[in-house]
Amino acid sequence: MMKHIVVAVDGSEVSAAAIEQAVTVARQRHMTLAGVFVIDGNWPDYIGNDWQSSKGARQGFLDYMRAEQEAQAQAAQTQFEEAVGQSVPQSQFTVLAGDPTDILSKLASEPETELLVTSKRVFQVSGRPSLKGLAKTLVKRATQPVLFTP
Amino acid sequence: MSVQAMGSASGKDSFLARLPGAIPGLALIVITLVIIKGYPGMDIFGFKGIEAWMKTAVLFGTKGWLVQVTHLNYILLGILAGMLYRNVIFSGTIPAVLSDGFKLARLMIKTGIIMLGSLYTVQAIVQLGSMAIFLIGGFVVMTIVMVLWLGKVMGLDRSMTGVLANALSICGVSAAVATSPAVEAKGAQVAYAIATILGFGILTMFISPFIGHALGLTDLQYGAWVGTGILNSGQVLAACLAFNPNVAPGTAVSVGEIWNIMRVISIPFAVFAVTVWYWAGQTSGTSAQKKSLGTLLVEKFPVFVLGFMAMVLLTSFGAFGDAGIKGGPPASATIKMLRDVMQWVFGFGLVGLGAYIDIKELARAGGTPLKIGLLVGVTKYVLALVVVFLIKDYLVAI
Repeated sequence: MMKHIVVAVDGSEVSAAAIEQAVTVARQRHMTLAGVFVIDGNWPDYIGNDWQSSKGARQGFLDYMRAEQEAQAQAAQTQFEEAVGQSVPQSQFTVLAGDPTDILSKLASEPETELLVTSKRVFQVSGRPSLKGLAKTLVKRATQPVLFTP
Repeated sequence: MSVQAMGSASGKDSFLARLPGAIPGLALIVITLVIIKGYPGMDIFGFKGIEAWMKTAVLFGTKGWLVQVTHLNYILLGILAGMLYRNVIFSGTIPAVLSDGFKLARLMIKTGIIMLGSLYTVQAIVQLGSMAIFLIGGFVVMTIVMVLWLGKVMGLDRSMTGVLANALSICGVSAAVATSPAVEAKGAQVAYAIATILGFGILTMFISPFIGHALGLTDLQYGAWVGTGILNSGQVLAACLAFNPNVAPGTAVSVGEIWNIMRVISIPFAVFAVTVWYWAGQTSGTSAQKKSLGTLLVEKFPVFVLGFMAMVLLTSFGAFGDAGIKGGPPASATIKMLRDVMQWVFGFGLVGLGAYIDIKELARAGGTPLKIGLLVGVTKYVLALVVVFLIKDYLVAI
């Protein structure tokens, strides 16, 4: 399978620096660049809304959060596409849903990932306090190289 | 926008369809509580449960030191076990096979609270409720005003201030999520408000029984204090049962839960008040979800309170026999059985509640929300104790 560079994007200033680094590496190595945004799927657990909650209990809030995160995903995609432009011949942007820490850890351990580029503060714009520890967890779990930007 | 889901289950199955999947987690909770609490006549190679062992174990030259000094009982041990499962044994995430069972915790706690209705008659509810309205009403208003003022002084974002005001004044997470859409709060703001209140609540849940015993509080005084000073329903329940695990009229849990229910009922009113404050201060157009008080009452009124009231009515009409209220005939066999069942139901629920506590989330809370949260939380907690002492002669036991 063809290897690629993965960059975590959240539309914030911190991820702009990560995209810049990722673009530079992808151009140098003539590789595909994959931008990734993760919609945090842990909100229901975090607020205690689960399979036995009544339908209306906290669903309104989850819908509200979902809309906020979809707007962030849209901003992230725009940021990625504008920054990459024509400078990398092959690029793609994907929105995933789940636990951001788990998903980035998984991406940072897949054989087809040549390098994962991410800001240490990525996804904090949308997130739960534990996402502050995302970089530390990545260091522990990643089997492929990870490049951290501030 | 196409989104690829990774990891988590869809969660769209019906309650009954998912119930069998809850059995493994539920089994672990039951085994855990049996090991901790034991059951009448239990004797497995001399082992009668951790709680029984603690009562006889000699530590620092004192028999039963663990119980007499730390006031640990099956309730706090159950919560600690739940926390241990999530944060240590399972490294932060309950495995999928056990997850649905652990998530039954809130349902069990609410079922237990509905059953608690069997401790009261309508007359007792009116008596306790009128005292509770006075204290709860005063503290809700005071807390909201204090947070709004501190938010302004400390330059906190108005949305964040609004979420914190209700989270700290009424009912923690429920209030935070009910208020957020109305004050245009961002996800991170809600997340930090929740982490702040849960962290503070967990601390108070463990230290309150110790303080209560040290100050020699009666069940009535203690229940009124923690019912006012602690924010979260589950935490009030745990703090009361940790002080006195008995479930009967006049015990800490019977008082604290009335206070708690009064606070939970005030959610729609507090959400409405803070929303009005937010709109009034907005100079530009707002996309906040504006809802009338009537809509909020329909949407946010806690349904389990209706179940609780139905249980009170049934008890008042003698559906379960004599309720064992002070000054009346002793409790019937049905009522006694209900109380035994409640102890187990609450125990199961609180093991699950412990497994909801994610230390990673709480440890990383910080910034101005944490400062305001601690300042207001501690003020409320201490002031509630002072007020309970001041009005102790006016508190009437049931």
